[in-house]
Amino acid sequence: MTGSLPLSSLGGAIEFIFSEQTSNVTGGQKVGGFEQAMELTLNQLEVTVLALALALVVALPLGLYLGHKGKGEFILVGLANGGRAIPELAVIALVAALIGVGLVTVAPALAILGIPPILTNAYVGVRQVDRATVDAARGMGMSELEIIRKVELPLAVPTVMGGIRGATIAIVATATIAPLAGVETLGDFIINASIYGDDGRLAGAILVAVLALTLEGLLALLQRRLTSDGLKVKTA
Amino acid sequence: MNSPLLLAAAGEVGSDFFKERSSDTLPCQAKPNEVFCFDWARENIDRFGTPTVQHLELVLISLLLGFAVAFALSLLAHRRKWLQPPLLGATGVLYTIPSIAFFFLLLPVTGIGKDTAIIALAAYTLQIIYRNTMLGLDNVPSSAKEAARGMGYTDRQILWRVELPLATPEIIAGLRIAVVSTIAIATLAVFIGGGGLGTQIYGGGNLTFPTSIFIALAIVLLMALLFDLVLLTVQRLTTPWRKARQT
Amino acid sequence: MSDAPAASSVRYEETTKVYPGASGPAVDHLTLEVPAGEICVLVGPSGCGKTTAMRMVNRTVEITSGDVLIGDRSVRDREPAQLRREIGYVIQQIGLFPHRTINENIGAVPQLLGWKKERTRERAAELLALIGLDPELGDRYPAQLSGGQQQRVGVARALAADPLVMLMDEPFGAIDPINRERLQNEFLRLQAEIRKTVLFVTHDIDEAIKMGDRIAVMREGGRVEQYATPAELLMAPANEFVEDFVGADRALKRLALMRVRDIDLWEAPLAHVGQASSEVRAKLASPDVEVAYPLLVDSERRPLGWLSERDLTAEVVPQRPDSPLGPVLELDDVMRDALADLLQGEAQYAPVVDHQRRIIGVLSVEIISEFLKSPEAKSDEHPAVERPHE
Repeated sequence: MTGSLPLSSLGGAIEFIFSEQTSNVTGGQKVGGFEQAMELTLNQLEVTVLALALALVVALPLGLYLGHKGKGEFILVGLANGGRAIPELAVIALVAALIGVGLVTVAPALAILGIPPILTNAYVGVRQVDRATVDAARGMGMSELEIIRKVELPLAVPTVMGGIRGATIAIVATATIAPLAGVETLGDFIINASIYGDDGRLAGAILVAVLALTLEGLLALLQRRLTSDGLKVKTA
Repeated sequence: MNSPLLLAAAGEVGSDFFKERSSDTLPCQAKPNEVFCFDWARENIDRFGTPTVQHLELVLISLLLGFAVAFALSLLAHRRKWLQPPLLGATGVLYTIPSIAFFFLLLPVTGIGKDTAIIALAAYTLQIIYRNTMLGLDNVPSSAKEAARGMGYTDRQILWRVELPLATPEIIAGLRIAVVSTIAIATLAVFIGGGGLGTQIYGGGNLTFPTSIFIALAIVLLMALLFDLVLLTVQRLTTPWRKARQT
Repeated sequence: MSDAPAASSVRYEETTKVYPGASGPAVDHLTLEVPAGEICVLVGPSGCGKTTAMRMVNRTVEITSGDVLIGDRSVRDREPAQLRREIGYVIQQIGLFPHRTINENIGAVPQLLGWKKERTRERAAELLALIGLDPELGDRYPAQLSGGQQQRVGVARALAADPLVMLMDEPFGAIDPINRERLQNEFLRLQAEIRKTVLFVTHDIDEAIKMGDRIAVMREGGRVEQYATPAELLMAPANEFVEDFVGADRALKRLALMRVRDIDLWEAPLAHVGQASSEVRAKLASPDVEVAYPLLVDSERRPLGWLSERDLTAEVVPQRPDSPLGPVLELDDVMRDALADLLQGEAQYAPVVDHQRRIIGVLSVEIISEFLKSPEAKSDEHPAVERPHE
């Protein structure tokens, strides 16, 4: 190992992010710098958001519906466990090898990774709403759709958002290694350290961590905004 | 910018692999779009042996480490309630950071190799196990605790003889989730020189080929299934009272 | 079961509990003595401090000032956990350990005390028999038992280490009324055998009267308004608070303390099958007859039914009487139940029989009400240890 002190590595990494460096390998061509860092970050954001949107469109309505009806629990539990067991590296590799490289193939693959947590949590979130509350709503004359919208969904927000946050974490993590399938994300700095150097590699790691934590933080804030005040009150 | 094909040695398996490849003339596994090559699989199945063992090692050690730390944290937070939110937050941060990035954040401190991988994997499991343990402890019926206290159990006895046994189902549920996730993520250890089955998916600075990837994937999934079943059995065996229902 | 006295007195000495930030003490200088081997019931409205007072005995609530003595020893002398192992503790929600079998639950305190496994096992079996449960249930888990069975196990668990004192906090509160009565009766039967010192908390005055040898009626602050036997409480409530708490029907409540044998019964003219009706009519015509109808009995003087006017029109007393027997009472029956039987059976009279079902006398509602009005009833001191139970 280089034996360099962590602090000096950090210094090098910060420098890499903000100013262009000379690379050892590509002979003179500059690497790093703010522009490139931003480009890769935006790429990662793009594929993440796309995949998340796809996953939401598929999994959220389905999960809410199944939860409302109370069907499919067995399959969903299996799906949740199974989804966790799939190594993201294999997914990216197979997509690259068998389907094709680029955003068009990678985004759906990432979406598939994000579907299990959203689906399962949407189901559980609706399911755990007190049946008595739903009964009362139905007795008051609400249509099934109104019940989902006005009663079950608001009460299910914490659990559902938990699922969305979990999906986002999984998608961001996999998006990091998307360069293997032709989508240039921050993982490029990490995987191709030979070009970018140790500094670049650490810089990539830092940027990925910051990106992931920022997204998680934003979603946490969103969850707080969406959670009704009644739910936020904790009983002693 | 394109990633150039380089002979960067990410591990010994990588370079060996490359030598073998170049000596054949388009065998079945190298044909484009060849999904699964049975001949190659049959001939080369033993090359998966060492990576599998490495993978198991990574998983078991990081789980033991993660469990030990998370369990200790839970016991701490169980007594001192004020620790709960910050611990939940701190373990949450570790969980949110993608493992591959975590490897390289640790790199300046712990270097290349499986140790870094193990620490990062253990850190990932912390939140799962901590959260489930807290949940299990919270769900212990307060009447049982009150009766125990009134009967003359000390606080420590209540924890070890009443609360923890009753929290076991949730704790094991957390372990199951952690195990399955760790087995999957351990494939990334290849990037930090930690070995494991990831080496058969991405070796020598390049993706391998579908047949190899599928086999590695199959082994990972099987391992996950096996561990899950084992833990499920452990849970059944350690909680005989849950099967008993009012006759 | 050992015959050596395994019970101590409990004495409160100016025992006080003040919670930080509260406006007044939860228990204010309580001074009370519970003699060994007796059941003392702490009764009062919610929040009066009765549970707090009870829990200061085993220090699940710490004493602010004053003391509680068990026998001669202050409870503050010992480590709380040690102390509690010598005190039986039964709570309303029972709190059996779900993850332990019934035997293991019962053996919990013995295990804490370090008893040998064999001895613990024997003791658990002994207690299961004592509380009337099938020994087979010992290997089951609490979830497999009914609520009533679980509550009994709770009591057995408290008795396992043969404690000096038993604390019971609304132990039968969560049970349905039918099972509650059974459990109360069973506990009283048990107590007659084992004679523990019991501190029993309840908000139900009827339960207090039934269970208590002595009753402490409390109000806020754990202030004891009256500490007396059930009979005293019913006949001479100390003040308006106690009177209100005991209830306007305290005369009826007193009937729970009496048995049929305590009262003078009336005599009914007896008739046998085949006897000449004229003889029976002659008896009826007698001036000091107390009961207006003849009672048909067999050769052993066992009641068969009541004879009506119509029955007597025949030459001879018929075999089948017009009116059925209605409720039949025994000398040991609790007076309140006897009155209930009479009222429910819509019977004017009920024959009272002995153990061989032979007629002794007749009871009526009138007799009971006359008795309650009599000076004899008012002055009678009914001994506290005589507990009427099924």
